[in-house]
Amino acid sequence: MTAKGGVQYSKIAEIKGPLVVVDDVENAAFDELVEIETKEGERRLGKVLEVGNGKAIVQVFEGTTGLSISGTSAKFVGKLMEMPVSKEVLGRVFDGLGRPKDGLPDPIADKFIDINGEPMNPEQREYPKDFIQTGVSVIDGMITLVRGQKLPIFSGSGMSHNILAAQIARQANVVGTKDDFAVVFAAIGVQYSEAEYFRRSLEESGALKRSVLFLNTADDPAIERIITPRVALTVAEYLAFDLGMHVLVILTDMTNYAEALREISAAREEVPGRKGYPGYLYTDLSTIYERAGKLNGRKGSVTQVPILSMPSDDITHPIPDLTGYITEGQIVLGRDLFRQGVYPPINILMSLSRLMKDGIGAGSTREDHSEISNQVYDAYSRAQEVRALAGIVGKAGLTDIDLKYMDVGDVFEKEFLTQATDENRTIEETLTILWKIVSKLPKNEITKIKDKYVDQYYQEN
Amino acid sequence: MTDSLLAKSIDKILEKTEKETLVNLENSFSDAKQTLDNSIPKLEQEFDKIISDGKKEADKIEKQIIGSSDLEVRNKQLLTLEIAIDKVFTKALEQIANTTRSADYSNLMKTLLDESTKILSTTKVIVSTNSKDKDLVQSLLSKYPGAELSSETINCLGGVVVKSKDGAMKFDNTLDARIQRLKPLIRKEIATKFGVGN
Repeated sequence: MTAKGGVQYSKIAEIKGPLVVVDDVENAAFDELVEIETKEGERRLGKVLEVGNGKAIVQVFEGTTGLSISGTSAKFVGKLMEMPVSKEVLGRVFDGLGRPKDGLPDPIADKFIDINGEPMNPEQREYPKDFIQTGVSVIDGMITLVRGQKLPIFSGSGMSHNILAAQIARQANVVGTKDDFAVVFAAIGVQYSEAEYFRRSLEESGALKRSVLFLNTADDPAIERIITPRVALTVAEYLAFDLGMHVLVILTDMTNYAEALREISAAREEVPGRKGYPGYLYTDLSTIYERAGKLNGRKGSVTQVPILSMPSDDITHPIPDLTGYITEGQIVLGRDLFRQGVYPPINILMSLSRLMKDGIGAGSTREDHSEISNQVYDAYSRAQEVRALAGIVGKAGLTDIDLKYMDVGDVFEKEFLTQATDENRTIEETLTILWKIVSKLPKNEITKIKDKYVDQYYQEN
Repeated sequence: MTDSLLAKSIDKILEKTEKETLVNLENSFSDAKQTLDNSIPKLEQEFDKIISDGKKEADKIEKQIIGSSDLEVRNKQLLTLEIAIDKVFTKALEQIANTTRSADYSNLMKTLLDESTKILSTTKVIVSTNSKDKDLVQSLLSKYPGAELSSETINCLGGVVVKSKDGAMKFDNTLDARIQRLKPLIRKEIATKFGVGN
């Protein structure tokens, strides 16, 4: 930061959607921060999207409503957008641009960091392999999250993804280490009531102390949503790699982010890609998702759980589709389970954590974790087939063993999947329930678990 | 004879009934013992569950209380610190406003004018300043061909606002604007003096 500011230009050529085109501009830089000042003295922030031929295209974060060509000026600040960071950001609530929203002053900055972050050197990346306990059985037991992983939640409109996100934020922890753990929560384009729910939920559980909240509500300008995840990740990277904390970043809802991107792309008259999203959606999403991981020789880690609601529950929609290419698995919420009143309505058959195998087992969770998880996955899959069969031939037409699998399916959904929103289960409790489910089957049906574990954990009825 | 037979029969029946009753009693006793034995582990499990649930709940409440009180204390500390920083700022600004216009100050104004014309890439500018510095700026402007002093003064601690003659570009190089730009760093410096953020 220098004492020199930038030049203020008052020749506004055009205002188009969220963009302002400034004429006769010299020495502006790509991504440079711009202060737009209205005739009335109101200030808004923006950034340079394009420069050339004496013109600069500025994207105004707070929207261009109320701006007019005459009387509006643009001051090119001479620096990129930065986030002031320090340990004091923990326990604070900010808006989508990183300004305090809790009535407290700006944090005393230890550093000012460019919100676009620096790409992680692939050679310096450390393979993620340490378990994070979320206290949600189905995630810990069957779709385990590991430190440094990016594991999105694919949800649908109206489903309980925000309740799940808040529960994970409250309960998540690293076990078996005394390292500090923090949660960075970025709400992108959520309703006011949801934003309040997140804030209150963390405050009342005492988890706000180790959390940082960024709240961009639905009535905030859509363009701010482009910045919110970047500001949140900048703070997360600082906490992780400067202060050595294990940081879980929850981004909800990335669909709103992609829609803001589409809005800007349309205003820039770019050639639209699938469903009107820009052709660079994949690249843009990767600049967010790839800001997760662990670095060699550094203590901390950044783990990401981005949440996105799939329009019309369509998993082939460009947002979940492209997200799936970048992330390491996915947690899919099922509409059927949601309708049945199951919480969390996670469809395990469509969900997967690609890094789970490295984060579980002896030394991190328990030696039988992988095998019991595989066996339950297999049994639940068979239960679904049996249910479909029962729908055709009726229950009376099923064999004894088929009925046992149906029972497994029921117990799985009622006792394992179903969990209260404030119920924090340890990994031992989760594994005990998994064994209870498997123990509904006769021993000869248990084919994926070593005998020694069956002898040790099988619960005779 | 009949009486003794009757008595014998009664004795037999009594003996049989006694035996049956004893067997039943023994069975009942062993059943009760079995039930009791079986219920002990269940009770123990139930007891352990109640204790562990209670412990969990207690931990949760402890976390809530500690978390919220820690935050409350921290937030109060932040507000107190901010009040102190504001006081330091106000005092410093007062001192700057009352600075005597020495030779050093004149050099500073020249530097600010140099910087501004360089950034705007022209000396054909209109310069605005406060009433205190008007004469000083007027005397310095002779070195900048095409530069004019605005007839209107501005309200600032010191420094200049430089505008291109066509009004398209403006550069605010007042002390107020420079302080404003550096405020986050100055706040940090002040906080460090108070022993925060070291």
